[in-house]
Amino acid sequence: MYGRLLRFRLRRDRVQLLVWGLVLFLMTYTVGTEVRTSWGTAAERASMVKVMTVTPAILLFRGTPQGTSEGDLMALLGMSFIALLVMFQLVFLVTRHTRAEEQTGQTETIASTVAGRLAPSYAVLTLALIATVIAWVAITLGCLANGLPAGGSALFGAGAAFAGLSFAGVTFLLAQLFPASRTVNGWAVTLAVVSYFVRGIGDAGSTIHTENLTATPLWITWLSPIGWAQATRPWALNRVWPLALGTLLFAVCTVVALAIQDRRDVGAGVMAERKGRPAAPGSLLGTVGLALRLERGSLIAWIIAVIATAMLMGSLAGSVVDQLASAGGGAAAMIEHFGGGGPIVMAFVNIGAVFSGMLASAICVQGAIRLRQEEIAQGADAVLSTAASRAKWMLSFLLVAAVGSIVSLVLGGLVAGVLSTSASGGFHTWFWAIVWQIPAVLMFLGVVAVVFAVLPRATAGVGWAVFGLSILFGMFGPLLGMPAWTSKLTPFMHVPAIALPHPQFTGGWVMVGISVVLVAASVLLFRLRDTKPGA
Amino acid sequence: MAAVIEAHGLTKHFGRVHALDGLDLVVEQGEVHGYLGPNGAGKSTTIRILLGLARATGGRVSVFGQDPWRDASALHRRIATIPGDVALWPNLSGGETIDLLVHLRGGDTKAKAYTDARARLIEEFQFDPTKKARSYSKGNRQKVALIAALAHPAELYVFDEPTSGLDPLMESVFTRQIGRIAEAGGTVLLSSHILSEVEKLCTRISILRGGKVVESGTLTELRHLTRTSFSFERDGLTDAQLAGIPGAHDLVLDEGRVSFTVDSDQVAGILPSLGALGVAGLQVAPPSLEELFLRHYGDVVDGTPVEAS
Ligand SMILES: Nc1ncnc2c1ncn2[C@@H]1O[C@H](COP(=O)(O)OP(=O)(O)O)[C@@H](O)[C@H]1O
Ligand SMILES: [Mg+2]
Repeated sequence: MYGRLLRFRLRRDRVQLLVWGLVLFLMTYTVGTEVRTSWGTAAERASMVKVMTVTPAILLFRGTPQGTSEGDLMALLGMSFIALLVMFQLVFLVTRHTRAEEQTGQTETIASTVAGRLAPSYAVLTLALIATVIAWVAITLGCLANGLPAGGSALFGAGAAFAGLSFAGVTFLLAQLFPASRTVNGWAVTLAVVSYFVRGIGDAGSTIHTENLTATPLWITWLSPIGWAQATRPWALNRVWPLALGTLLFAVCTVVALAIQDRRDVGAGVMAERKGRPAAPGSLLGTVGLALRLERGSLIAWIIAVIATAMLMGSLAGSVVDQLASAGGGAAAMIEHFGGGGPIVMAFVNIGAVFSGMLASAICVQGAIRLRQEEIAQGADAVLSTAASRAKWMLSFLLVAAVGSIVSLVLGGLVAGVLSTSASGGFHTWFWAIVWQIPAVLMFLGVVAVVFAVLPRATAGVGWAVFGLSILFGMFGPLLGMPAWTSKLTPFMHVPAIALPHPQFTGGWVMVGISVVLVAASVLLFRLRDTKPGA
Repeated sequence: MAAVIEAHGLTKHFGRVHALDGLDLVVEQGEVHGYLGPNGAGKSTTIRILLGLARATGGRVSVFGQDPWRDASALHRRIATIPGDVALWPNLSGGETIDLLVHLRGGDTKAKAYTDARARLIEEFQFDPTKKARSYSKGNRQKVALIAALAHPAELYVFDEPTSGLDPLMESVFTRQIGRIAEAGGTVLLSSHILSEVEKLCTRISILRGGKVVESGTLTELRHLTRTSFSFERDGLTDAQLAGIPGAHDLVLDEGRVSFTVDSDQVAGILPSLGALGVAGLQVAPPSLEELFLRHYGDVVDGTPVEAS
């Protein structure tokens, strides 16, 4: 039975596992290439690491300085976020096959057959191990493809993969505690992000050894599975023993979870579900109220993310730019790439604004995809069987997404503006540079809404692909040496670049117009087709 | 005046699948109309077209004389519905969902008539409205849809397998509610694959098969198409005596009992001859809808009771 279940799950997940392997390989490969091409010489790498050691805000997001070889820079720039990616992958994988299945009743069906109570769980755990190995291999290959030494490459891959494995255990345990898969995912993702920032604090506060540009992080880093991954120090110290910590966490969580599972009823959780309201508050009554209620959680999270990004950019502008300029070499070149020839600090403002815009556009992409999710889950049919018209239903969700992204950018612009000094751009430049991202952001809403109306089954795929490619072309295109026309495809290249000389406002207004036309077209087109519930 | 629901030659194709294949359906004002057919017959597809969620490939269809596709939102002020597959917003409570759906139908959720009706239904269905929808069982999700549909009056009720997931006690509560609607003059279209339910509730029935209505009429009308079964103790009666019973079909002699069937409109004619034979232990079973059903689906369901899915 265990074997049958495992084969069944492998077959169901094979495409996802493959795509994830590919994504991890490409991510790792891209970071490696960036290291190789942007900081090709030892001197350039040394100046880059030097900048980072004096900029805790960068270490917060990156890692522990461990020297100046190509591998050392790879570990510093890539390890923490690649490990975080693997953690997310395993969180979603484990939740999908445990609590989510239990919630939809699939587990009951299996548990009532000859399969033992725990056989499905053993199959999921094996699947998690297989996913870990795939991640390990993919990341290692990504390093090797850049010509990095084999031992360090394997250890880099193992570090990230084992961080993921430890979270497979954590998620499996959470799945025993909470009765709803959303809650399980929410907690696990939050813990993963917390562990990212716990090690970030450790790195930001680390003791720097200037003689060889290495660092010893604060003790707090040892509380984080990502910290353990970094502690392997691939290519520098090549330590294997920190991998045991991740394995141990996985093992402990698994044993506890299995013990709980053996004692509880299928479908039940250890934590009780919170009670809801017995009647609807006035704010919920109506399609906008419904959309707002459904989007509320993710909207708040995204708005905070946009504000935090803008805040970081605005407050860092002065110091980072000074240091980058004085350090010279590749780091400054990177900034100048985006500068369009203006002063370097203005180039930084421009990057900060575009980056905030990209985050805010995720709100619109997600908001339009929500239409399809509602259609699949039959929330759309429930509303459309009432007196609410199709246009009203659709526009309510689109409106909430549009307003959410606009609010995030206005607040982000205010915060960045207030935090910046006149030397680092000033209020006016920061505020308007960020606010003028709105037309680009709204384009995503229009495009994804049209896809929803015409090709509903492709909504999520096309939506995130458009988002990913816009970022790839817009942010990394020049770095990766892609032809110039590719970056013209992204809306962010057509907003007036307030921070740079001669901003072109036409592009902004044209995009506002196009977005309105696209949304109107999507509503008309949706009225021509059947609703298609079910994936 | 036109019928509440009228469909003529209705077709719906999904690629090569012909879910509806020239369907005719008429539901008159004040009827509780049973829409009967096994899974996959096209019940849900019909209902999705009547609600303007799907568009007919061909044929004519009207609800209250209007086009359900074009005039969907205006029509829905007059219609209450329960979908075949009740899905709810996981993080809304049951009570919130009920209020929201009623509000969207045009009901005033502050009105006393509504709050009273809602409270009564919650009581009768023994429903806890404070739980988040994600933690409701199938039966409880069904109750959310039922209460939302019943708590605010409508002119037409369209129910797609409304009792799936309900226990027998709750089914009887539902039966009472349908009775209440019928008394108040409401019109109901009730799709089901459960014969006993339709038999109990409906004044007219349409039987659907392969996307077509193959039989439609009142229960009595349809019963004329069936046979009534008789059985009694053999008690030494000879084969020749038994063969002399007029109009008897499917005669079976078994373990001392005789059984046979008679066309339902010939029942009265047969009684004198049974009296003359002096039969003992006579049992007469009126035709069940199940028999009627089996006549149409016998080849599909292979004679097993048609409650299976
Ligand atoms: N969206 C769809 N795409 C393809 N086939 C469908 C779709 N909806 C229904 N069908 C097919 O149409 C037929 C009728 O289905 P349905 O109306 O759901 O039947 P019922 O409700 O009577 O069980 C079935 O064969 C079903 O597979
Ligand atoms: Mg159905």
